[in-house]
Amino acid sequence: MKVLENGVDEQNLVAAAQQDPSRFADLYESNFDRVYAYVSRRVLHRHDAEDLTAEVFHAALRDLERLEWRGRPFAAWLMGIAAHLLADGWRHAAKRPEISTSDLERGDVGVDAIDFTIIDPKIEERAMLYQLVGELPLDQRQVILRRFVEQKSVREIALELGRSAGAIKQLQFRALQNLRMRIGSCHVERVHRRSTR
Amino acid sequence: MSNASIVDQLDENIEALLAHADSEPPISDPAVCELLAVAAELRTLPDPDFKARLKADLIEQAAPCADPAAHTDSRMITRPFAESAKKMSAPCASAILPTLFGAGYGAYPVHRSSFIASALAHTTALALLVTVGIWAARDAHEVPKVSSVVLTDLSPYVLPPAPDEAGGGGGGGDREKLRASKGNPPRFASEQITPPAIVVRNEHARLTADPTVVGPPSLSFPQTGPMGDPLSGILGPPSNGTGSGSGMGSGSEGGVGTGRGPGVGPGSGGGIGGEIYRVGGGVSAPHAIYDPEPEYSEEARKARYQGVVVLQVVIGADGRPGDVRVARTLGMGLDQKAIDAVRQWRFEPALKDRRPVAVVVNIEVTFRLY
Repeated sequence: MKVLENGVDEQNLVAAAQQDPSRFADLYESNFDRVYAYVSRRVLHRHDAEDLTAEVFHAALRDLERLEWRGRPFAAWLMGIAAHLLADGWRHAAKRPEISTSDLERGDVGVDAIDFTIIDPKIEERAMLYQLVGELPLDQRQVILRRFVEQKSVREIALELGRSAGAIKQLQFRALQNLRMRIGSCHVERVHRRSTR
Repeated sequence: MSNASIVDQLDENIEALLAHADSEPPISDPAVCELLAVAAELRTLPDPDFKARLKADLIEQAAPCADPAAHTDSRMITRPFAESAKKMSAPCASAILPTLFGAGYGAYPVHRSSFIASALAHTTALALLVTVGIWAARDAHEVPKVSSVVLTDLSPYVLPPAPDEAGGGGGGGDREKLRASKGNPPRFASEQITPPAIVVRNEHARLTADPTVVGPPSLSFPQTGPMGDPLSGILGPPSNGTGSGSGMGSGSEGGVGTGRGPGVGPGSGGGIGGEIYRVGGGVSAPHAIYDPEPEYSEEARKARYQGVVVLQVVIGADGRPGDVRVARTLGMGLDQKAIDAVRQWRFEPALKDRRPVAVVVNIEVTFRLY
């Protein structure tokens, strides 16, 4: 997230990736969590979010050389792609009779009406949370990933890790406390950084 | 509330949250509530394996013209990546024609059929254009353009008035027993110094001058044959005729023919007699009312030959062309084409004293290739 705060760095990354597509990995690392956070708020299932995120980055890599840097965050461009893909997906899904109306309510809005130059703070916070999970101590991170990504029960995790269920619950509790504390401080830090610019 | 109970309560709520994503968790403790809010956000936590797989796949995609088999055989590949790999199975195709293979339009759908239809339409149009061009070039030929105009010869020479007989004319003779022999009259001049003679009596005259007849100086007769009366039917022997007052013929006063005066032909006063006038001096010009253009001769067309033919034509009192002669030849069959055409012409005849008369006019026919 550090890179994303600095427009000049991001511009350099984009220019480098346009020259050498293998440098796209840097942009990917910087923006994956944001794109995933944006997409996951608009689809119901994890596999849909993964598919859509993958499509966004593939399309971005394909069209990167056509991108003209105009000072907009790179993430805004990615979210624009995501929004178009979502709109296409919903339009396609709307033709199927079995689609539920809740799917449509989640985000079937005019893509052109969305201002992607300002990234939703909720998206920012969610992306930040994803990053913070990676910074947790190993045992806490293992529990969080198994519990929320793999959606395993405490008992299953305990068996896998060779710990007691109580220990797993404690690790889960401490991990969430950690995350809550860190995201709070990150939020304060970010607000402070913006105010001092 | 003890720490143990909070931990248990949190886990129960998380269990409920994961089991029923849309249901409200049965929370009670505010501390649990805050942690549960974080847990709710973690439900969408991305799988680190997915992130790594996607990164690896993007790196492969970024590598230009990578081995397509490497994409299809990859066990790490995800569903959209499989589609992507399928797209990339045409080696380097998108690099050659990116739009044709759907690349370059980002998230928007691209139909190959549209490109194929477009290519077919363009090919057809191009083939049509080339065919028409070849056909036009092969059959191209110059358009022959023939124009003709009746030349109104307004001679500055004004014929003297002839109160008794219409038209000019003249005649002469040497009181011989034989009629004047056939030949060409001398050239016209506005003033006569020496009358024409077929048989010259004084071959050693001190003062000599060319014989002439009075008439339009622009009008000339062929001077190739022997001198004589053009209207005479006698070819020989040479005789100045039965007339008087020098000249040739049966008339008088130094002209040629049966008239009286220094001109040629019947009538009197000079000029050309015999009811054939020239335009001017009270004689109006004939006006063509039917004048089909001559054809271009094939010979001249192939040789890209062009130019002007001048015909001297007598337009009769009935408006029909009579005697047609070539005044300026062009050759290549164009003279005959001009004559053939002009013979079909019809005129409003020339008028003199409100009476139609025959006139001699020049008709200029221009043959041009465009």
